[in-house]
Amino acid sequence: MYRIRFHGRGGQGMKTASRILGTAFFLQGYEVQDAPRYGAERRGAPIFAYVRASKDPINERGIISQPDLVIVADDSLVPVPGAGVISGIDAHTVLLINSDEDPDTWKQRLNFNGSLFTLPVETEARAELRFIGATCTGAAARLLGVISRDALTQAIRQELAELGDAIVEENLSRALSAFGLMEAHAGTVNAGSVVSAHDYQRPQWVDLPFDQARISAPAIHAAATSIAVKTGLWRTMRPLIDYEHCNRCWWVCSTFCPDGAINVDDEGYPHIDYDHCKGCMVCVAQCPPHAIASIPEQDAQAADNEEARA
Amino acid sequence: MSELTYRRMKDLPSTHLLGTGTPMCAGCGGLNALHQIYDIIGEKSIFINAAGCMTLLSVYPFTPFRGSWLYTAMASAPAGAQGVRDALDVLLQKNRMSMQDDMQVVVLTGDGAAYGMGLSATSGAMERDLDFMYICYDNEGYGNTGQQYSGATPHAAMTATSRGPRGFPGFKKDLFSIWSAHKPAYVATVIGTEPLDLARKIEKARSLKGPRMIIALSPCPTGWDYDPQDSVTVGKLAVRTGVWPLKEYVDGKVVHTKVPHPRKPVEEYLKLQGRFSHLFEPQRDDALINEIQAKVGAYWEDVDS
Ligand SMILES: Cc1ncc(C[n+]2csc(CCOP(=O)(O)OP(=O)(O)O)c2C)c(N)n1
Ligand code: SF4
Ligand code: SF4
Ligand code: SF4
Ligand SMILES: [Mg+2]
Repeated sequence: MYRIRFHGRGGQGMKTASRILGTAFFLQGYEVQDAPRYGAERRGAPIFAYVRASKDPINERGIISQPDLVIVADDSLVPVPGAGVISGIDAHTVLLINSDEDPDTWKQRLNFNGSLFTLPVETEARAELRFIGATCTGAAARLLGVISRDALTQAIRQELAELGDAIVEENLSRALSAFGLMEAHAGTVNAGSVVSAHDYQRPQWVDLPFDQARISAPAIHAAATSIAVKTGLWRTMRPLIDYEHCNRCWWVCSTFCPDGAINVDDEGYPHIDYDHCKGCMVCVAQCPPHAIASIPEQDAQAADNEEARA
Repeated sequence: MSELTYRRMKDLPSTHLLGTGTPMCAGCGGLNALHQIYDIIGEKSIFINAAGCMTLLSVYPFTPFRGSWLYTAMASAPAGAQGVRDALDVLLQKNRMSMQDDMQVVVLTGDGAAYGMGLSATSGAMERDLDFMYICYDNEGYGNTGQQYSGATPHAAMTATSRGPRGFPGFKKDLFSIWSAHKPAYVATVIGTEPLDLARKIEKARSLKGPRMIIALSPCPTGWDYDPQDSVTVGKLAVRTGVWPLKEYVDGKVVHTKVPHPRKPVEEYLKLQGRFSHLFEPQRDDALINEIQAKVGAYWEDVDS
């Protein structure tokens, strides 16, 4: 049985990507399960999607903890603990990462000796991000080796039909070019063995003692505890205030930031709280003198690291 | 407090009360309105929240609120507010709480609850002259479950349940008029992209007693399908095109607080949003665009006359 795990951010189309791959498998005569998983978080937050495919009936359910193929649409997710990208991978797992860095760098970084491929990032334009799913699916289909070009094409047409011809063709061309890119590596992914119920390992639940409702009810007794959640990890672009151009208009960025992540100091200068800024770029679009720039988060982090080292 | 606290933009708060780190989408127009509203209502408040996107604001053990928050079923938030108000009144009566510690009771629901499922409970609360504030963040659909149409969905918008070539065949309900017909203390429409207008109205609502009803149009990048960075632009265009009239009902009269003049063509607003893209691609649907424009025109003609 093939077990495939997709990692992306809300809004990057991982659910659709998993559906396309599932449908392609189905068209090749496989039994298929595909399902997205997300929690309370939204656009920008880590999202998972799972595909199982087998020639035999699939009795396994739930999340995939030991994947044969892991697809990472957004490489900034790799270091995010909550994204669980490297959870359960071993030497037999194949990794496919959408990244401008080369495979060796990633292998070293992850201390991983198995097969690892990168897909060059085609663009930094945010509007183009919606095609990442198709690109990843095309590459994944070839790495699996059991999905034909025709099945992939038909699956994309079928799953995206509602979006209209232009969008279908755009996705198709990206998927097929990624499919072509991985030609030399067709069939790298090996199906994992079927696990029997016998070998099933129970999750490590934490047992809680039975308490009175007054104690055990989920009541929160402190103010604004959400601040402990670092939504800054959702960001793919970073807003950067140029204080020489900020004319301290005072309210625009701070009032319009949906998250209230910009506070203004006594002198009227705004400060962005990067632990929580989700990178919506509303402040960039609204600042009257255009004093806020947007830069890819990865470049910003690389620059931060440089600075820390120097 | 007088209405004049917020005269200029510079009077608006520069630091914010509502906690960061919420699970709302990047660019959420509803959250933009809420954080501005919360700055004015303050932490002496109890929010009664019906199922919807904003339920996720408080997922144990995290909450952005500094006061209390209570979750109810989708149709029952105003009933929940009645219970909370009654409990506070009992505490006050028995001198177990001082007047200074009294709290604003605030219902917070989406449009699915406000325009539909919860309308009966809301009508009952207004009928009983319940002393509460109602904030409806209106993202024009059942956002939390994937943007199915609601009573607030505008004509022709594409939703998860309106997929035909002409989008949603129905029309957005006039909740402002439905609420006003109950003659509550206050009804107002607001939007997070008009901060001063919003601040004045929330300030006024806060100073009154009885049912104070607010509808905040909430641009929703996820459900309306546009890039999150355009959230404020979309909201401003909703006002400038006349699609979202800013008004208030007080003392039996309706007053428009911001009359867009001249009004921009509605297509500037529609064009930015994927949910209306079928009006422009693959062919321009002039008939439908004109129909929407004519409705907006007719509304403002009524206002002017
Ligand atoms: C009685 C009932 N029906 C359905 C649901 C499922 N449900 C949860 S949130 C939601 C959408 C609510 O829409 P709206 O009030 O507009 O809030 P939004 O999600 O857009 O913020 C629905 C249908 C529910 N919780 N209760
Ligand atoms: S909106 Fe721009 S000019 Fe105004 S305070 Fe923010 S950064 Fe400065
Ligand atoms: S990008 Fe700007 S507006 Fe958006 S969350 Fe970050 S600071 Fe706020
Ligand atoms: S779906 Fe819309 S209303 Fe709901 S959190 Fe996302 S942006 Fe806000
Ligand atoms: Mg809604």
